[in-house]
Amino acid sequence: MNWNMILYTVLNTTFVFLFAPLIVSLIKKVKAMCQGRRGTPLLQTYFQLFKLFKKEIVYSDNSSFIMRISPYLNIAFLLVASIFIPIVFIPAQESGFGNIILFLYLMVCARFFMALSGLDAGSTFGNMGSSREMTIASIIEPTTLMACAALAFILKTTDIPEMFGTVLSGSILQYPTLFLVASSLFIILIVETARVPVDNPETHLELTMVHEAMILEQSGPKLALMELSYGIKQLILMAFLINILFPWGMATDTTLSGILISVASFIIKALLLAVAMGVFESFFAKIRFFRLPDFFMIAFFLSFVTIVFELLS
Amino acid sequence: MIDAILFNDIIHGLFVLIMGTAALIITQRSLTSLFNIYAAQSMILAVMAIVMYIEYGTLNLLFIALLTIIVKTVFIPLFLHNVLKRIPVKRDLQFSFLSPASSILISAVLIFIVYFFFTGLAGDMLDDRPLLLGGVIGISLALMGMMIIFSRKKVITKSIGYLTMENGVLLFSLFMAEMPFIIEVLIVIDLLMIIVLAAVLAFGIDSSLEEFHKKLNRLGIWIED
Repeated sequence: MNWNMILYTVLNTTFVFLFAPLIVSLIKKVKAMCQGRRGTPLLQTYFQLFKLFKKEIVYSDNSSFIMRISPYLNIAFLLVASIFIPIVFIPAQESGFGNIILFLYLMVCARFFMALSGLDAGSTFGNMGSSREMTIASIIEPTTLMACAALAFILKTTDIPEMFGTVLSGSILQYPTLFLVASSLFIILIVETARVPVDNPETHLELTMVHEAMILEQSGPKLALMELSYGIKQLILMAFLINILFPWGMATDTTLSGILISVASFIIKALLLAVAMGVFESFFAKIRFFRLPDFFMIAFFLSFVTIVFELLS
Repeated sequence: MIDAILFNDIIHGLFVLIMGTAALIITQRSLTSLFNIYAAQSMILAVMAIVMYIEYGTLNLLFIALLTIIVKTVFIPLFLHNVLKRIPVKRDLQFSFLSPASSILISAVLIFIVYFFFTGLAGDMLDDRPLLLGGVIGISLALMGMMIIFSRKKVITKSIGYLTMENGVLLFSLFMAEMPFIIEVLIVIDLLMIIVLAAVLAFGIDSSLEEFHKKLNRLGIWIED
């Protein structure tokens, strides 16, 4: 652990922590504008989180300690996972962290505890949400693995910061197959963040909800933590997609100007992607639950084809 | 003549696009977007032929590109859209034998099998990667077209499967074998016949022959005296 690494960890985590709610509200705003509404102000998610942190916590009588610790575990797993995705600058390579398989495991752990807490309170909605979430997870997981394998095939490494560095030092035209993986990563992003063709994040108390059903029993600061960890998950998956495809502007050293440029360029790219996601969502209706595998299979196919392409070139 | 590395990159990018359109054709349910995707796929093939003409300078390739653009990106989709306006079908929701998810999985397996056999057969051609890739993608596109033919129920989507197959054959011939231009023209004429036949079938042969003639008349493919 050297100073470079400590600086990187502090800056990256702080940035993710502060920036994540803005993306959540931006996507909501874009969706509202697509529907002809004015939408909530851009800082609404921050206000909501502040409000929730001031409220009291109410637990169901049936809940156990799982309910109490899972928000902390959830956000902790995601914050650790966020260190694997460099945003402020690419840290020195010899530190040896950022394995993509470990990254996936961290994400899965967060999801596991979220599903457990959904089951824990014993409400029917929570059970249903957890059951659905696990069903979706078991279908999307092979696809995610396949996409990561394809990335490792193209860029010849399983190290996420090294992947970004490779694309940064080359040009995107050198790796045309990255576009295939990127489209499959986009589908994974939509699925993992419970967005429209898969799940609707705006609905509550509807029979179709998946993610919202699991956090239905959480209240007060615990709910705020859950919402925040949702935002963080969304941001780091978006950052993964952005930095694989367009890592331009990212700093590889620790000068102040380099860090500022890479943060500024990332903010612009993330805002653009958020707008794209909002518009994408507005074009689609929710897919019926049993038809979801068709949607996932496209992502699987694209990643698989990438591997065959890479075998041949 | 373009730089060899740039040529490789461009061809690679176009292959990526072709595979994307193939995946969409397999899963798409709305007929209008199916036709548009088919037009896009043919356009990509035409662009590929033009790029190869710039690289190799064979005039044949330019003719193929022109023929593809005129017939497959303009004429056939227009005709199909025209047919679609007159039939009550807007979406093809029925699949026999295979659901879209499993057809996608099977086509992934198909690509892998084709790749496996090709690398076995190719021998000394292994050094020329774009050519080999063109062969693999071409054959698998043809096989995927065949899969669309048997897994879709509606006649008009079956014809899209046939058209995709032909695109695969064209891709294969662009990269692996020098196909005489006359054969390409014959194939395109075949395609037009298939489209007309598919229109006839989609239109329905349930009514009497006289009424059927009237229906065809409206489409402009049968002129009564």
